[in-house]
Formats: sequence, structure tokens, C-alpha cells
Amino acid sequence: MIEKLLVANRGEIAIRIMRSAQELGIKTVAVYEETDRFAMHITKADEAVCIGPGPRKDYLDIDRIIHAAKEVGADAIHPGYGFLSENPEFPLKCREAGLIFVGPPSDIILKMGSKVTARQIMESVGIPLIPGTKTLPPGNEGNEIALDFAERYGFPIMIKAVSGGGGRGIRVVHSKEQLIQGLKLARSEAKVAFGNEEIYLEKGISRPRHVEVQILADTHGNVVHLGTRNCSIQRRHQKLIEIAPSFLTPLVEERICESSVKAAKVAGYVNAGTIEFLVDEDDNFYFLEVNTRIQVEHTVTEMVTGIDIVREQLRIAAGEPLSIKQEDVSVRGCAIELRINAEDPKQSFIPCPGVIEVYQSPGGHGIRLDGAVYQGYEIPRFYDSLIVKLTVYGFSWNEAVDRLRRALDGFNIVGVKTTIPYYKAIVDDPDFRNRQFDTTYIDSHPELLDYREAEDEMDKLARLIAEINAYGYNPHAL
Amino acid sequence: MLTVITLTHFSKKRKETVVFREMSAKEVIDYVRNYDGYFLTNNERDVSQSDFKGRIMPWTTLRAAPTRDMVGYFAFEISGGASIHVDLMKKQINPFEKLRLVRKAMPNTLIQTGCRSHNLFGYRPYSEETIRATVRAFAKYVDVWRVYDFMNHIPNMKIVGEEVQKAGRILVPSLCFGTGPEHSNEFYLEKVQEIVDTFGPDIILGIKNHSALGSFERIANLVEAIKAEFPEIPIAYHGHNTDGNDLARMVAAIRAGAKIVEVCDHGFGAWYSQAPALSLIQVLEDHGYSPKNINIDAIIQSSEIIRYERRYYAAFESPFRGVDPLVRAHKLTGGAVSMAYEQAEQLGLLSRIQEVFEELSTVIKELGNIWPVTPGSQILWSTAVSNILYGRYEQPSDDLKRLLLGHYGPFPFYDPPDWIYKKVLEHKRTNGKRWYEILQSKDRAKPEDKEGIESCREQFREEMGRYPSEEEMVLYLIFPRDTVSYLKFEERYGRTWLLPPDIWFHTGGFPNGKRITFTDDSGKPHIIDIVSTQVLDNVVKTSCLVDYHFKTYSVPVDAKKRKAG
Repeated sequence: MIEKLLVANRGEIAIRIMRSAQELGIKTVAVYEETDRFAMHITKADEAVCIGPGPRKDYLDIDRIIHAAKEVGADAIHPGYGFLSENPEFPLKCREAGLIFVGPPSDIILKMGSKVTARQIMESVGIPLIPGTKTLPPGNEGNEIALDFAERYGFPIMIKAVSGGGGRGIRVVHSKEQLIQGLKLARSEAKVAFGNEEIYLEKGISRPRHVEVQILADTHGNVVHLGTRNCSIQRRHQKLIEIAPSFLTPLVEERICESSVKAAKVAGYVNAGTIEFLVDEDDNFYFLEVNTRIQVEHTVTEMVTGIDIVREQLRIAAGEPLSIKQEDVSVRGCAIELRINAEDPKQSFIPCPGVIEVYQSPGGHGIRLDGAVYQGYEIPRFYDSLIVKLTVYGFSWNEAVDRLRRALDGFNIVGVKTTIPYYKAIVDDPDFRNRQFDTTYIDSHPELLDYREAEDEMDKLARLIAEINAYGYNPHAL
Repeated sequence: MLTVITLTHFSKKRKETVVFREMSAKEVIDYVRNYDGYFLTNNERDVSQSDFKGRIMPWTTLRAAPTRDMVGYFAFEISGGASIHVDLMKKQINPFEKLRLVRKAMPNTLIQTGCRSHNLFGYRPYSEETIRATVRAFAKYVDVWRVYDFMNHIPNMKIVGEEVQKAGRILVPSLCFGTGPEHSNEFYLEKVQEIVDTFGPDIILGIKNHSALGSFERIANLVEAIKAEFPEIPIAYHGHNTDGNDLARMVAAIRAGAKIVEVCDHGFGAWYSQAPALSLIQVLEDHGYSPKNINIDAIIQSSEIIRYERRYYAAFESPFRGVDPLVRAHKLTGGAVSMAYEQAEQLGLLSRIQEVFEELSTVIKELGNIWPVTPGSQILWSTAVSNILYGRYEQPSDDLKRLLLGHYGPFPFYDPPDWIYKKVLEHKRTNGKRWYEILQSKDRAKPEDKEGIESCREQFREEMGRYPSEEEMVLYLIFPRDTVSYLKFEERYGRTWLLPPDIWFHTGGFPNGKRITFTDDSGKPHIIDIVSTQVLDNVVKTSCLVDYHFKTYSVPVDAKKRKAG
């Protein structure tokens, strides 16, 4: 059993991991960069280690993190999501240092991280693939293969970075000219973003839904799925709202989940992972990619299954078998998760770092908050702008949506712009309420950005009182 | 902390069993027509305007509302006159929101407005489109429409009256009352006939004695004359107590057959507005008129509340308090007194006020002996002030020019002398046209409203970045600049009318630990605690607990200008 766990991450996911660890009696260690020294996750850990001046480089420094773990006597490391979570070197170096890595081993990350290899595995178990190419050779040869592909499957076509993921490294092209131009741009972008300029093509699916299956696999050969999630509401391929279950027809739901378990078994998968699919208008599903880490949206699965995914991760990493069998997993009700960020949706979601002057959150039945801030906290400009992850549970879709609206109304966050008013507009949208959405939803509903930002009425009155106090009279009453 | 007066020792039931709000306009008018007693209308709007520069805040109105609603008043006037403009400019409340609040707080009482005919709630004639849209919007909340025209030109009332009747509301076309040889019963009876011809018999006829003129005998004589000619038309008398004689006039009006008179709460102890309800009731009892259907205890309780509230408004009371018997000569309308004094004070004319009054008296006579009530009162008063400051008719206002050009209607008795036309119409005229040529030319015509509602809607969008609601559009049509300024204020500061008046009118800084409490219109109590004030060179930082969350506001301020706390 793990005794001391270092969480190689920050923010809400670090806290979320610590919670499960603490419930298991595991001591927790936070790491932080100097530029992140006021982050809330530090206060939640039993110990904390400053791993460097930052910003954003020390959280990515495997050696510093392993050094920190050794220094405090940790025996395991959880990478969270983002940062080093899908870097195959990390589990390798952990193993070399005698540390348990809470996640898949590096060869799995490597296999699944390579879109081409992952597709081969999926194909071997009969999971349909979106027509695509292998890695394109550079130069004219690659261009010719791309043009042949376009001739065969038509447009739109997606150009994808081999090392991309999480919506990054994807370009959609609609003509031959865009295709040739896009290949060049995609290569250079991929090189900058991922250090690997390799790209491949996929046929674009029109009005697709993004559906994913949560997998848990232990080192004893047990693999279970925890049902599906619908993550179709995305902005520029970044998920905004995630829902469990995905509301596929029961037959399709069953097929997609069983195929995923089969694929995980073939791949020799270990720990938590997600297999992502695109589902077209006729409920045909196509493999998209595998994420070899805990995901932001894992909370919705936890809400509808009651299973603590991080707790299972820790058990698996410690060599224990899964605490659940497939027949123990039942999905009940509906959960919706969204990320409340310090961003201005009206300004292309530009991050709005700043001091959180007021932070009041909702509560009550069916509401889960995975937060990363406190009143008076200054959201640093160096990191992501997540304030809190809101997950609601309802016995039905309608109940969950009503609860989501109530929960959003229950927030009072002052000091920074947030995505809350935008989410309120979405929740009030009839298409959303009727579950009529696919991955084009955000682009096809630009009017949702026309919301009015509401400031708390009492804060407005207090502003006037502050002005009377400052001027010594009320300039508006003369 | 405010004292909460509990209503334990008076009847919480209205004596009146008839609820006018549930009746049609015709049913109400018929009821009044056949009633063998008298009704009282409480005119807080006029009290606020005449004696407190229009500053009585919704806070006070809403505090007194439950007890006033128990009195059994025929109506409660809370809208109209200058109040719409003052709501936007000085009180920062949406006039429609105020009406909604008052209607909700006084479910048993009719809500009344005072409307200046085609000048609506402003100072110049509006287009037909604007008049219709405005009346339609306000008629959703206003049951009784007291409509008057300062030229007593009945066609000026026509569109307003049509829309009021179309909306199923109670129309009270009102005669502006004055004194002088021309103001005869014959003249007024002709006007009543014109009113009946225009609006039909289902009206309540108003007599508007805005300047507190005439003896009680004169009022009785006029009411009797109207009753004799038009026995089926119920009469409502609206007077002011500027000279201290309105109690007598109201008694005379009721004895002569008037059914409704307008009063104030004795807690306001008003000077230039209406006389107190309770004093009137006491006098009428001596004349054999019992206050049936009137809850005396509720009148007393209302005034107990108001007496306490009155201290908030001390700064806005007239610099000259007490009755003014000289109003018989200068005729300044009660509703214009507090603002006229304010203007005189700003111009340094307060010590010469008698001189201004004398000039006003002369100006009224010179300008056709018309009725000095808004907007006429403003035109006549500013002309008198200008005459004192710059010489007689040397600096005529644009509104005076409009008056002479006939934009407000024809002079009812006689035209001003030629020399005034010459001075006013030829003032700063560059095209060399003589005054009589101007009167004959098309320049005389009232300019058409070129901008329709639709273009104003676009204009609003440009200024506010969004389209207006129907109510916002109406406010924008009548007061474009002040509406935009109010809406921007409201966006930034919210519904500040929720604040207690001692906070709204506060001077000086707040001490640390100061607790500000109030209850919103949903019944929820709120607390704002001042925690600390930090005065820096050019910024004052105020930290407070707002409903138990901590906030700090930085207000840039010129330290020299900051008043000592």
C-alpha cells in the first residue's frame, strides 16, 4: 500500500487527488513553483515542497519532482492531468527511482499516445475507425497522399498532430488549397506545441457527438468500463460541458463500452483511461483517441456510478485488484460538469487573472464543487484560469439541468470575469435543454454570447455607499 | 437605527367596502357621481414637489403605504407632474418601477397621476406618436388621470384623454383656475362644455387651483355654476394651501357639490401643497359631513410614520416657511415654489424675492393672464427672473418664444402687447424678419417631430449598446438625455432607492462600524457594514461587509474636495 503520495500537479485536480488519498490514510505531498506559492492545493496537503521558481517549467521538470518525492520520503506520484501526465518518460523515471507511478506504464502511454498505434489496436478489436492516413511523409510525397485521400473521401478533412490531444493540434480543411496550406501549418504548429511535427489525416464527420468511455484496468487483468460521457459541447476542440451518461441508445451504449473494454484488454492497459469516439447522426461510432490519465470530466462518471475513480487508481497503482466488477457498475441518473474559469467569453475567452474579491458557492443536494480558489486569492497569469469545476447530479436530465441553473445562480464571484453568465445562457437555451447538441453547438449558437453580465445588486449599492464615503456626499442626490 | 412603528392600536380594515381597483372606469365614475358624501385623494406627489423639491423618496412612500392604503382614499397621486423627471434625475428610480412598487404596496387604492396634456410630464409639446405611446405605457399602472393644460386649450388634452379612455382608465380633465376679470364663470363653463363635447359625460371634472387663488365663496360659486349646467358630471377639486385658506375652499367646494378634494398627511405639515386631511375632516364634521368610509386612525398612523421620516428631507424644504398670502398677487403655482426658490437661491436673488414676485405678477398680466402652472409657470417665472437680471424681455428664453408663436396654444383672453412680441421674436434674429412677419410666416408653425419612435430606438441602441424595453423607450422619448444617464447609473449602482434616505442624502464619511440595514422589495433584509476607510492621496478605499462578504472599493477622489467626515 502507498504510504505517502506526491501529487505532481496543482489546482483542483491536485486537491481532488489528495482527498481520495487522505481517505485511504495516505499522507499527501504538494509541489509548487515559487510563482504559485499561494495556490490552494498547497494548503490541503500534509506537506509541501517548492520545486523551483517557475512559472510553468518546474511542474514539467521530471527530475525536480522525483527529487522532491525522494526528499520527503514519498513512495508514489500521481501526475493528475496536463503537465507530465501523458509523458511516457515520467513513469519510466519514477520506476527507476523506486517510486510508484499512479497511471499507466510508459509503454502504454507511448502506444496510446501515438494515434497511429492506437488506431491499429482499435482496428484489431473491430472498433470502426474514421477513415484516415498513416503518418504523412514530409514534402510533396505527403501532399500527394493527402490529395489522394481528399479525392477518395471528400471534405471536410481533419489534419491532426500525431502527438496532439485534448483538442490541441487539429485543423479542419474544406478544400484542396486549404489542405496543402494546412499541412504546412499543421506541421510547424505541431513542432512548436509538441516537439514532434508528425501529422496524419482523418475524414471529418459532420455534426458529430463526442462520446467517451471511462475504463479502469488493474494489474491482475481485470478491466471494467464505467459507462459513457458526452463531451460534445466544445469550443475550438476544448471541452466546455461534459455529461454522463451520453444518452446513446442502449444497444449502441453497450457496443461502445464492450468494445472499449476489449481494446483495453488487447492493449494491456493498466489504471484509468478514456477511449474517445465520434458518433455520427446515425449512431455510427468511430474511434478518436485514448487518454491515458485521469480526465477533468471524471467527476460526472463518479456522480452517476458512485465509484471514486482516483481511489481505484491508487489501489491499482499499489498492485491491488479493482474493488469492483463490471456487474457492480450501474449508471443511475444524470450528471453534468462544467468548468468555471476566470475568462471573458465575450473576448474570445481570454483569461482574466486577478484577485477574487468575493467567492460564494452554491450547495445542497446533487452539487459537487472541485475548487481551486479562495476569497482573496489572486489567480496567477501563469497557469490555467480554472476557478472551480461544478458537477451536478439529477435523477433525470431535466432535473440535472434545473439543478445546474440553480447552482450557477448560487455563485457570487466578484473581482474577475467568469464563464458563469455564458453557461447560464447555455442552460437557458432550448436546444441545450432538449439535448440537441453536437460538437458544432458553440459555433452554431453565437447568440449565447449576447448575455448581460449581472453584478450582485448589493455590491452595486455598496459601491455607491463607498462613493458617498469617499466624496463626503452623494453626487447623485444633489 | 430606525424605529419600527407597529400598527397595533388601530383598525387594519378599510371602512370602504367598495374596491375601486376592481371596478371599471365607468363604474367608479358612476359610484362617485351617486355618492352622498365626499372622497379624499392624497397627493404625495404634489407635497413632494411643492414643499420638498420633489425629493420624498420611495423609502418613505413605501413605509407609509400600508397605513395609507387603509384610509379609504379615493386615489393616491404618486406620479406625474415633475416627478417623472425628478425620479430620473435626482432620485435615480425608474418611474415605472416606482409605480409598480406603490401599486403593490397599496392594493386597495387607485393610483393617480397629474399630466400636462400634450406636454405630458415635460415642458414642451410632444408628437402624437410619443403622447400615445407614453399614455399607453403609464396607463398600465395609473388608474386616475388628472389632465390639465396651462392654456386651458382643450384640444391640447385630446390625445392624452383618448388614450386614457381607450385604456379603460378614469379621466379627470381639469380646468386650470385663475383670478382676474377674464376668469369668469362663463369662460369656465364654455371650457367644461368643450371638455364634455370632446370626452363625453363619463369623466370626473377637475378644478385645478394650483396657485391657491380665490376666496372660498369664489370656489363655491364656480362649483355651483358647473353643477347647475352639468349636474351629472362629478367634480374633483385640487387646490394648494399656499395662502393658508385651502381648508376653507375645500369645505366650500364640498358644500357646493364637489365629490373629491385633494389633501396631504398632516405629518408633512405642508406649506405650498395641499391642506391636511384630518383638519379638513374635523371642519367638515362641524358642517354636518361625517367622514364615512374614512379610517381616521389610519390617517393618524400614516402621519406618525411620516413625521419621523420628514427629518430626512429638511434640507429640501423651502427657505421661506409658512403661508404666503401674497400669492394672490404673484400667483406662483404651489408645485413650482420649491424649485423657484432653489433657482433664486442659485442666482443670488433670494434676498430680492419680493421684487421677483412683483415682476412675475406684471409678466403674467402682460402675457395674457394665462395660468402660471407647468410648463407656463416655468416660462413666466424664468421671464420674471430674466427681466430682473438682464432688463425687461432683453434675454427671452426659447420657451417664451414658443409661447408667443402659439406652440402651446392660443392666448385665451388677449394677446401680449406688440412691443413684447417685437423684443422676444426679433431677439438674436439674423435674417432681419420683423415680428409680425414671423407670426405670419411658416416659422410660426410648430416644428414637426422629424424623428419617429423607430429612429429613437436606434439612437437608444447607439447610446446604451442594446435596444430599449417598451418602458425605457417611453422614458427616452420624453427625456432622452436624463433617461440614458439614469439607466447608466442604474447599471452601475443598482436599485439605490432601497437605501434609507439618511444614507442617500448622507454628508460626510461613515465611521468604522457603521451598519446600514434595509429590506428589499422581496422582503429580504440586507446589511452593509463599514469596516474601514483608508484615505490615500488620490484614492479613498472603503472596506465593507456586504451581506457578510468582504469587499473593498477604491474611489479616486481629489482629497481637497473631500468633505470632512
